[in-house]
Amino acid sequence: MAQTAKQRYLFLAFCLLPTFLLFLVFTIYPMLGGLYYSFFEWSGTSSVKTFIGLDNYIKLWNDSIIKQAIFNDFFFVFVKVIGIMILSLFFAVALTQLRIKEAPFYRIVFFFPNIMSVVVIGILWQFIYDPSIGLVNSLLTKVGLSEWARPWLGDMTWVLPSIAIPAIWAGIGLFMLLLMGGISNVPKSLYEAADIDGASEWQQFWRITVPLIWPQIKTSILYIIITSLNGSFVLVQVMTGGGPGSASEVMGSYLYQRAFEDFQFGYGAAIGVLILVVSLITVLISQLILKKEKVEY
Amino acid sequence: MNHKKGIKQFWLLFTLVGLLMLLAACSGDDTTEDVATTDESTKTDSPTTEPATEDGLSGKLEIQYFVGGYGDEWWKQVIGDFKKENPNLEIVEHAGPNINTEMNTRWISNDPPDVVYIDGAGANETQMIAEGQLMDISSFVKDLKMEDDTPLLDSFISPAEEIDGGKIYSLPLVFDTWGIWYDAKWFKDNNWAPPTDFDTWLSSMEKIKEETNISPFITTGQHPQYFERGVLNPAFAAAGGEEFLNDLRNGVVEAWQRPEALEVMTKVQKMADAKVVDPGFAAYNHTQSQMNFLLHKNAYIPVGFWLPNEMKNDTPSDLEFGFTPTPMNNPGEPLALVPDIRTIAVAEKAKNPEAAKAFLAFIFTEKYAQDFAASTGAIMNLKNVDLSANTNVPEFLTGINDMINNPSAVKLYKHHTPNAEEQKIAVEITNEIKLQLIEVLLGKKTAEQFIDIMTKKSQELRK
Repeated sequence: MAQTAKQRYLFLAFCLLPTFLLFLVFTIYPMLGGLYYSFFEWSGTSSVKTFIGLDNYIKLWNDSIIKQAIFNDFFFVFVKVIGIMILSLFFAVALTQLRIKEAPFYRIVFFFPNIMSVVVIGILWQFIYDPSIGLVNSLLTKVGLSEWARPWLGDMTWVLPSIAIPAIWAGIGLFMLLLMGGISNVPKSLYEAADIDGASEWQQFWRITVPLIWPQIKTSILYIIITSLNGSFVLVQVMTGGGPGSASEVMGSYLYQRAFEDFQFGYGAAIGVLILVVSLITVLISQLILKKEKVEY
Repeated sequence: MNHKKGIKQFWLLFTLVGLLMLLAACSGDDTTEDVATTDESTKTDSPTTEPATEDGLSGKLEIQYFVGGYGDEWWKQVIGDFKKENPNLEIVEHAGPNINTEMNTRWISNDPPDVVYIDGAGANETQMIAEGQLMDISSFVKDLKMEDDTPLLDSFISPAEEIDGGKIYSLPLVFDTWGIWYDAKWFKDNNWAPPTDFDTWLSSMEKIKEETNISPFITTGQHPQYFERGVLNPAFAAAGGEEFLNDLRNGVVEAWQRPEALEVMTKVQKMADAKVVDPGFAAYNHTQSQMNFLLHKNAYIPVGFWLPNEMKNDTPSDLEFGFTPTPMNNPGEPLALVPDIRTIAVAEKAKNPEAAKAFLAFIFTEKYAQDFAASTGAIMNLKNVDLSANTNVPEFLTGINDMINNPSAVKLYKHHTPNAEEQKIAVEITNEIKLQLIEVLLGKKTAEQFIDIMTKKSQELRK
C-alpha cells in the first residue's frame, strides 16, 4: 500500500522533530545565548547586565593568555591527530590483517579508555605523573635514568606533552574500531591480486588500504579536531587547572576561569564564541585539505 | 488502518511524554533542601512574611550556606535551635559544597533566599554588593547587643565593613585566616623551633632540609592563591601595612614601586634559591600538597584554618597540628595576619527580612562561638571568647585564639572591599600575581622581574 504524502511527512516529522527540538534547546539556544551575552558586562550571578558592544572582543584581542591558549589548543589538535591516527591505524591494520588470535581481546583492551570518564582518566594519569610516588618517575629511577625524572605536570616545558599522552591513549580505541570497520570492507581479492603482482605489504597498505579507508580516516581526523578544540578542557582542568602559570591553559579552561571564577560571564561568553569560530574555521580548512576523490577499484 | 493510526498516535504521545520527562529531569535541582523540623509539625501553608507573634516568628525563612572544610554540624545546630525558638517559622536550608552555583539561577531571577552565608567557590561579596543583591542592615545591627550589653559591632575580632559612608551589608561571621601549618609533635621530637620571623623561618627550613633531606616547604601550584593569600598578603601587610596591602591588590602603581614590594618578593626568591620549596609543587592540587604535608614529605604548608577539619580522615594519629601566622615579618616585628572573613548577609530581595535579621542576631553569641570552635576547629569572629576551658576545642585553636587576642604578638590587617571599578582591576592583578608567582617559586623569574611585570600590569590597568 503506497504511502500518502501526509503520512510520509508525519513519519519524517516523527523521526526528526524530537531530535530537532532537543538540538534547538540544547545547542542552538545556548549558542545564541552565548553570542548575546558576549555583548554584555555580566557577572553571571545577578540580573544586572550592561550592554558594552564589542568591548569583550576588544579585550579578547589584547589578552595574551588567549593567544597562548589558542596555541596550546592547536598543539593538542596537532599532536592528537598525528598520535591517534598513527597508532589507531597501526593497531587496526595489525588486528585485521595479521590474523592475531587474541584480536578480540586487544580490541576490548584498546577500547577500554573510551568507556572511562575523562575525569577518571585525568586523575589516574595525575597519579602516574606524581613527582614522588608516580609510575613514570619510579620507572625512570629504576632503569637508571633518575636525572630524567621531573614533576611532569609542574614543568612548564613538559606539561603539554604530558597531558597529550593520556589524551592520545584515551582516543585510540574508538578510531581503531572505526578504521577496522573500514579495513574489513576492503575486498580480500584486491590484496590477493596485489600479491600476485608482487606488491609488498607496505605498498599494499599505501596503495590499497589507505585510499579505500580514506573516508574513515577523514572522519576520524575531523572528529579528533572538533573534540580536541572543545574537549581538551576537561583533561587540562583535572590534571593542571591550566598551570603551571598558564603553560597548559586552553581556551575552554580559560573560559571557565573567567566566567565562573572571575565572575566575568560576558567575557567568558566571548571566549565561547571564539572557540566556536576557531573550530568552524579549522574544520573547514581541514575539510579542504583532506578533500580527495573517492577511490573505487 | 485505524489500528496503524492508533499505533502512530501512541508513539507520538510516547515521544512527547519522554521529551517532557527529559526536560523536567534537566530542570531538577540538586540543592540539599532540608526543612528544619521540631517536635511540632511544619506548617507549609504559612504566609511568606509575617510579623513576630507570641510564639516567635512565622512564615518561611530560606538560608543558603556553603558546606566546605568546616562541615555543616554547626549550621544544623543553630538552625535547629532557632527553629525551636520560633516553632511557627518554616526554615528551608539550601546547603552543600556547590550551593553557590546551584542557587545562582535564584539570584539571577531576583528570587534569592533570605539569608546567605558568603563562602566557597562561586560566592563573591564585592560583586553582590556592587549589584545590589545585599540589604543594607546598618540601622539594624547598630542596635544589636551581646549578652553582656556590649554592642555587637564592638565585639568582632575583625570589624564589620562599613562602605559607601557607613552602610553595612554583611556581618563578619567566621574568622578565617591563612597561615603556616607544621606538625608540632614532629617539631618537638626533633628540637625544631617554630619560626617567629622570616630569618628564623628560612634557617629552620634549611635545617630541616639538611637533617631530613626533604623539601620543607610545599604549596599547591595548581591553586597559586594559596601562596598568595597564605604567604604574600601577610608579607606585604607586615612590610608596608594595611593601606599598602590594599593598594597592591588594587593595582596602585606607586605601591608596586615601593621598596617594600621588592623586599617581600626578594624573600620569596630567597626561598626558591635556597631550594626549600618542593620541586614538584607546581604539579600539585591543594589536596595532594596537603597529603604530602601530612605524610611528612614536607614540614610547612600555607593553608587556612580549615586544614585539620578538611584532612581529618587522612591525618595520622600521631600528628599534632601547629599553626603560626606566616613568618614573613622582619625580626622584632609582630607576626601579620590577614583574615579572610566569611560573612553572613540578608538578601536585598529577602521575602522574610524580619526573620532573616532575627537569625543574624540569634547566632552571634558566646555559646555559638564556643560551639563553632568545637565543631569546626576554627574561630567565630567574636572577641574575648575564652576557649581554654572548652575541652572540645582542639589544642592548636586555643593557642591561636590567645595569639589573636594579643596585639603585641600578632597584628591583624584587613582587606577592604573594593568598589566596582577597583574590583575589576583587583581581579586582573590577582590573576597576574598567580601567573608570575609560580615562575618565581620555580626559580625562573627574579623578584625584580616580578615587580617589573606587576608595575607594568598596574600601569596598563590604571591607564
